Amino acid sequence: MRGRFLRSTITVAIAAAVVSAVLSVSITRTSGQAPAAVRPARVAGKPNLSGIWQANNEANWDLQAHAALPGAVTQPGIYPYDYARVPAAPVLALGAAGAVPGSLGVVQGDGQIPYTAEAFMIKKENSEHWIDRDPELKCYLPGIPRAMYMPYPFQITQGTDKIHMAYEFSNTARTIHLDKVAGPPDDAWMGHSVGHWDGDTLAVDVTNFNDRSWFDRAGNFHSDALHLVERFTLMSPDIIRYEVTIEDPKVFTRPWRIAMPLYRRVEPNMQLLEFRCNEFVEEFMYGGLRKQQLVKHWEGETMAVDITRKVPTGDRFYDWYGGK
Amino acid sequence: MRDWFLRSMITVAIAAAAVSAILSVSITRTSAQAPASVKAAAPTSAPALKTPWGEPDLQGIWTDESDTPLQRSPKYANQEFFTEAQRAELDKERAALLGRDRRVERGTELDVAGAYNAQFMSVKHTGARTSLIVDPPNGRIPPLTPEAQKIAAAEREFRLALLQATETCKNKSVACNGGKYDPTPSPRRAELPPRYNTARMNRRDNPEDGALPDRCLTGGLPEFGGATGSFRRIVQTPGGIAMFYDVGQGQGWQRNIVMNGSPHLPASVRQWYGDSRGHWEGNTLVIDVTNFSPKTDYQGSRQNLHLVERWTRTGPNTLEYAVTIEDPTMWTRPWTVKQEFTKQSEQENRIYYEPRCIEGNYASPGLMRGQRMAEAAFARGQGPDPAVSDNATDFVGVEDDPLQ
Repeated sequence: MRGRFLRSTITVAIAAAVVSAVLSVSITRTSGQAPAAVRPARVAGKPNLSGIWQANNEANWDLQAHAALPGAVTQPGIYPYDYARVPAAPVLALGAAGAVPGSLGVVQGDGQIPYTAEAFMIKKENSEHWIDRDPELKCYLPGIPRAMYMPYPFQITQGTDKIHMAYEFSNTARTIHLDKVAGPPDDAWMGHSVGHWDGDTLAVDVTNFNDRSWFDRAGNFHSDALHLVERFTLMSPDIIRYEVTIEDPKVFTRPWRIAMPLYRRVEPNMQLLEFRCNEFVEEFMYGGLRKQQLVKHWEGETMAVDITRKVPTGDRFYDWYGGK
Repeated sequence: MRDWFLRSMITVAIAAAAVSAILSVSITRTSAQAPASVKAAAPTSAPALKTPWGEPDLQGIWTDESDTPLQRSPKYANQEFFTEAQRAELDKERAALLGRDRRVERGTELDVAGAYNAQFMSVKHTGARTSLIVDPPNGRIPPLTPEAQKIAAAEREFRLALLQATETCKNKSVACNGGKYDPTPSPRRAELPPRYNTARMNRRDNPEDGALPDRCLTGGLPEFGGATGSFRRIVQTPGGIAMFYDVGQGQGWQRNIVMNGSPHLPASVRQWYGDSRGHWEGNTLVIDVTNFSPKTDYQGSRQNLHLVERWTRTGPNTLEYAVTIEDPTMWTRPWTVKQEFTKQSEQENRIYYEPRCIEGNYASPGLMRGQRMAEAAFARGQGPDPAVSDNATDFVGVEDDPLQ
């Protein structure tokens, strides 16, 4: 595990992921800007979920409760204990920005994900081979529910018989069909979403998934038998309670649930920008095929990075204290 | 995953074929260009064409069901519309070509090099107009500025230099027009292109040597359909509009039109799909698009591209789209394209056309790996110098379309 982590690394991709993960919601005001259009509380009699939303939690790191970690990838330090590991090469140069924030988790009930014994081994392996396996690092489509709580905003456009959800990450989207629409003939990364209003709650049934997307960076996964029931309930004009019941008889022994608030991005100038990451990951995925490589050391498809970080005069930590 | 990619391509092709089959009955003209009697028959204030909250209703899946060349062939001069007889004749001619691969010089490497043959292409009925361009009145892209001509010439020279030692130039293929054959590979093969590359070139030293579509980085706007056609799904909410585009090769993308009257993004923020800000003018949605990335390219125009789009619902099943295209560094005057979209069946288009291009992109790394292997073989004295083979020229699609 250590060797694999040491030898498979792309600082830029990891840095981007880590930086985005710790991005916090900041409120900025732009003077001289037109006021936002009035958003009615209801659309055709239903609660209006339209707007730009974002989870503000650590679920994309790991759905389950976890303590903070020194790095998104770690290696044994001087002690043999798991709790005394140190950051590994892929994130070492990033210092605390390469670490993983802790979380109380979003899995409801006992906090456990009820894997079958066989599936649990795959999850463990996934976690150990995170850099090689997580579709997020390759900028693949995130799937549902992961797209809902990645550290990027998404936009809901609520019509009367369609609700469109556009995600900043990877420029993807899904249409929730409120009218009768038969399922697609093929599976999909983002699944097939059919919704209905259960009182003031939007309930969405999602099926027709492929088996490629993950739930988080901890290697939690599913098969093509995944079936989700999502529930969106406005708790206040700017907070949605988002709950998902997750069912997949090929991977889990019983249905389980996650829940979290989604917060409105209330900045008056908020809009979705692009995060067209397939360009960003070209070096990560194909850099070894360049005629003249930018990263000097590839072993087959595995990139080996020597981290050289020369600290310029004036930036050494003790310079800040007037030391020599 | 390669299978999925192919399957989705085929789905697009089949959908397009189905669309063209349905089309045989008639082609409705948009109100703006139709005779007055037809215009009167298409009231724009019909209740069904408004959302429940009173905004014009543009929702649905829309596509251009006919083929119209971007630029007008000089043979139609100032004729804006085909006559019915001309259209019937063109449809007859084009139907005979449908499904036949485009061929070039027989017996050459190029003749079999097409990545996409006629199987992938959609040939639709001939449209009402002789060109998508409605302004200038000659239906042609306006002349380039001297600066743009210089850039275009530099791009062309560079690409021809990379082809000079290949069979393509030796056989005087049209792909080598303006260049000449020289058996010695050009030293320019080691140079960077004159500016950030967006188009195919005969070299694959880096991912950036690929054309944008090869890298799953197809530029977004303006989007007129191309060889595989394109669909746009529009969903509206009070004060908000989302559009999802589905284009060839699963390179779809989304637009979330900012409708709050605020100014464009700061000039330092550049995007592949620009920055779309809309407002209503009567029943027309007007969208101003700027802030394009210097890595995008539409007909040579990059970060200075400025679009003004006008979307108007003209009938239960029709939507008129007009876009004025402007870049003073590129063209000597703005120009305008008009298209008519037809509403598509929700049921038959229920598949979410995922933009899953990169997930199945074996071509981009494959081309690089192929080049590295050919170089290694050549270094061992096995096989030809890869610098004399042409891996860039690709005559795609059906045989020469008399419409184009």
